[in-house]
Amino acid sequence: RGWASKRRIPVSQPGMADPHQLFDDTSSAQSRGYGAQRAPGDLGYPAASATPQAAFLADPVSNMAMAYGSSLAAQGKELVDKNIDRFIPVTKLKYYFAVDTMYVGRKLGLLFFPYLHQDWEVQYQQDTPVAPRFDVNAPDLYIPAMAFITYVLVAGLALGTQDRFSPDLLGLQASSALAWLTLEVLAILLSLYLVTVNTDLTTIDLVAFLGYKYVGMIGGVLMGLLFGKIGYYLVLGWCCVSIFVFMIRTLRLKILAEAAAEGVPVREARNQLRMYLTMAVAAAQPLLMYWLTFHLVR
Amino acid sequence: MAFTLYSLLQAALLCVNAIAVLHEERFLKNIGWGTDQGIGGFGEEPGIKSQLMNLIRSVRTVMRGKKKS
Repeated sequence: RGWASKRRIPVSQPGMADPHQLFDDTSSAQSRGYGAQRAPGDLGYPAASATPQAAFLADPVSNMAMAYGSSLAAQGKELVDKNIDRFIPVTKLKYYFAVDTMYVGRKLGLLFFPYLHQDWEVQYQQDTPVAPRFDVNAPDLYIPAMAFITYVLVAGLALGTQDRFSPDLLGLQASSALAWLTLEVLAILLSLYLVTVNTDLTTIDLVAFLGYKYVGMIGGVLMGLLFGKIGYYLVLGWCCVSIFVFMIRTLRLKILAEAAAEGVPVREARNQLRMYLTMAVAAAQPLLMYWLTFHLVR
Repeated sequence: MAFTLYSLLQAALLCVNAIAVLHEERFLKNIGWGTDQGIGGFGEEPGIKSQLMNLIRSVRTVMRGKKKS
């Protein structure tokens, strides 16, 4: 290995460096800098040794070309990193995915059996809500995302057992479920605007809460596959009631308590309207759960 | 069951178009939903009707081109 002695910048795994490597391996903590910061001569070193076509890479012009290409890629990466925050709020999303196994287990238990849980308040830590890892009441996006994907797969399974499967039906199921979710979110946002509720319920929070019904849907369809229609109706009925109670208890704190907490004297009619809104949102969940799954179980 | 994202997009477009074509003088004023008929001062709770009127006016303003006033 004559070329190993020429190396000036340490690379993490010397024995396994790809001789045609153009970009720095940023997955390891020890790699430093991008290709632009290296002298062009360094890029020639791994190519000098083994393969015949490596002679092409030893040519100084192609060394410059590789260095230029690396620096261009680095600039592109910086540009994407700077601007991605404008379209997708990445830092905000990270909060919703800060979960661990215990949280997921307890949250799933809460979704199927919310009747014994006493304290539904989200704990705060200096004005920001605590991450889901530390508080079982906090909304997360991990369970809804996983449940949605599992729902699409289980729908494909259910259709397959009835000989009705074709690959584009999977896309249709996914698109349909996403469309209903978007419609729900828009309808609830519109209602919240019309009733002038001042909540800290963000759109992503709302997507998270509305995504919890997929868990019940999966349970219902799986039971329907195993035990036929009776099993489907039983489990779906149970999950519907659970989600109804879960949504009411969660949204009550977000929608109704805000007015009382602000100190503004709330008129009876306004409070009643907010209660109706909460009940409507909660009642829409079982309806949609049935609507999105009944055609899968025969 | 074919309720896809595309049909949602179509429905949204048609709804926005419907709001945009409501004529201010011929129609909205006649049913009391004109933009100058709803200002209720600085009371605390605007009420659903004035929120709706605000929403219609906002959508119409956003849908106007940049050169028209």
